[in-house]
Amino acid sequence: MKKILSSVTDGKGFDIGLVLLPLAFLFVLSGLPLVYNVVMSFQEVDMFSLGSFARPFVGFKNYVDLFSQPETGPILFNTALFVSASIVGQFVIGFGLALFFWTNFPGASWLRGLFLVSWVMPGLVVGAIWNWILSGDFGVLNFFLREMAIINANIFWRSDPNYSLWAVIIANIWLGTSFNMILLSVGLSGIPKDLYEAAELDGATMLQRFFTITLPMMRSTIGAIVALGLIFTLQQFDLFAGITSGGPNNSSNVTQYWAWDLSFRQYDFAKGATISVIMIVFVMLASVVYVRSTRHEVRG
Amino acid sequence: MNEQIRNRLLLGVALVLAAIYLFPLYWMYVTALKTGSAMFATPPKFLPSDPQWSIYAHVWESRNMGRYLWNSLVIAVGAVSLIAVLGVGCAYVLARYRNVWVDVGLFLILMLQVLPASLMITPIFVGFSQIGLLETPRFAVVLAIAAKSMPFFVVLVRAAFMSVPMELEEAALVDGNSRIGAFFNIVLPLARNGILVSAILIFMQAFGEFVYSKSMIQAVELQPASVGLNTFMGPNTNEWNNIMAYATIYVTPVLAAFVLLQRRIVAGLTSGALK
Repeated sequence: MKKILSSVTDGKGFDIGLVLLPLAFLFVLSGLPLVYNVVMSFQEVDMFSLGSFARPFVGFKNYVDLFSQPETGPILFNTALFVSASIVGQFVIGFGLALFFWTNFPGASWLRGLFLVSWVMPGLVVGAIWNWILSGDFGVLNFFLREMAIINANIFWRSDPNYSLWAVIIANIWLGTSFNMILLSVGLSGIPKDLYEAAELDGATMLQRFFTITLPMMRSTIGAIVALGLIFTLQQFDLFAGITSGGPNNSSNVTQYWAWDLSFRQYDFAKGATISVIMIVFVMLASVVYVRSTRHEVRG
Repeated sequence: MNEQIRNRLLLGVALVLAAIYLFPLYWMYVTALKTGSAMFATPPKFLPSDPQWSIYAHVWESRNMGRYLWNSLVIAVGAVSLIAVLGVGCAYVLARYRNVWVDVGLFLILMLQVLPASLMITPIFVGFSQIGLLETPRFAVVLAIAAKSMPFFVVLVRAAFMSVPMELEEAALVDGNSRIGAFFNIVLPLARNGILVSAILIFMQAFGEFVYSKSMIQAVELQPASVGLNTFMGPNTNEWNNIMAYATIYVTPVLAAFVLLQRRIVAGLTSGALK
């Protein structure tokens, strides 16, 4: 007993205790729900059986039902579109900004950091602001587009099924660009300057330097950022709640919002769990890519 | 001389870019100050001609914002405290050793970091309701947020611990400190800044948290400001000046803290997330 006590205060036991306590906490509050989620996706869960553990198992019925619903296909497509358009937008704008701020002038790093406000703001506030900017008759975005003669009639971003998903994508690109830019800046500053000096002496043009030095040197950073972007866009919920609520008629619905909507609006917890399982498998695959591309850095 | 012109020019372009990017924020502040009719004017006014400063007091009173913000604060403080107490030690050990077990632990933690809250809420809600945790909904939300955000905190704080030289701790041990003594007297003070910045980041996230609170807190008196904002925004609302005033009151403290600590937050974030 005394030996264990002294190990806890002064030996290996100290480290093991420090790690095991949080891991146990995470296991109970993240690991168990994960397992429970899978179990529920094979059960019949409704308002009446919510409180009991002994619920009837229905095999793959939930999965079969889910994929025979007419809205499933479009929502999966929306998710793919939302994720890819957001990632492309965030990455391209973020990379552009990172390259610009990389030219290093006085005040560059402070101004660059300022962009990150979009990332620390509560998601729902960002949703509210964009909801107002994107409003049809009085939205300021429509005003700008009209002034620049890009459109001649107002776009009803939130209520037109052709645009509702794009309304959320625009807001999400704004939200995520700064984070992309900051991480890309870190990658850029890691490229040794003498590579560029040598290339310049050899007469390489700016474009050649970008494609033969910058891009190849940034490969692992870019891989990590795209994987992180995938993870973050699949977590995006607040913007949907703040702008379109998935509507009109599911035209801007995506799986992560739909799962919540099924559970907490339609009280179909089994279906909600089923979508969650499918999407979590998907997210986990993405995070394996992320962990792999940062592994050497994680090991430090 | 040439250099100076170039720098001025670049700074000018950078300011324009920042102005474009931060326009949504500006629009929030300006809209809040507009009258009901000025808000819907075409073309929109970019400077409020008749700023309505009284709107903040009005919205604060009518939407009961004090209570909402108090709940947000309770939830955020609770989550950050729980995360800090559990996460700091975990990050320390993961930074101190290099072996297979540490890699496995890190991998597990990174995997838990990526689970979307809106997908995890279904099993968490059902499980919590079965064991009666929903009787104390704010505590339930604190637990859920802690589980969600702790991995990120551990990754960030681990980077802070890695920058503390191991020799200092070893020297303290040789001088007769116990492990606990060396941890609290030497390592913790040296990593203090990194821990504080990570805690502030987690606090900002928890302060704006929405999915868990919306799903688990039914009683209006216990709901945080994010849920309050959500109920304020009905489907066909036209009170945009009031909503933007609400948003202003909600985010301004967060923004002020961010601008003040910007350098450190950005440094802490980049050292943990990618390096």
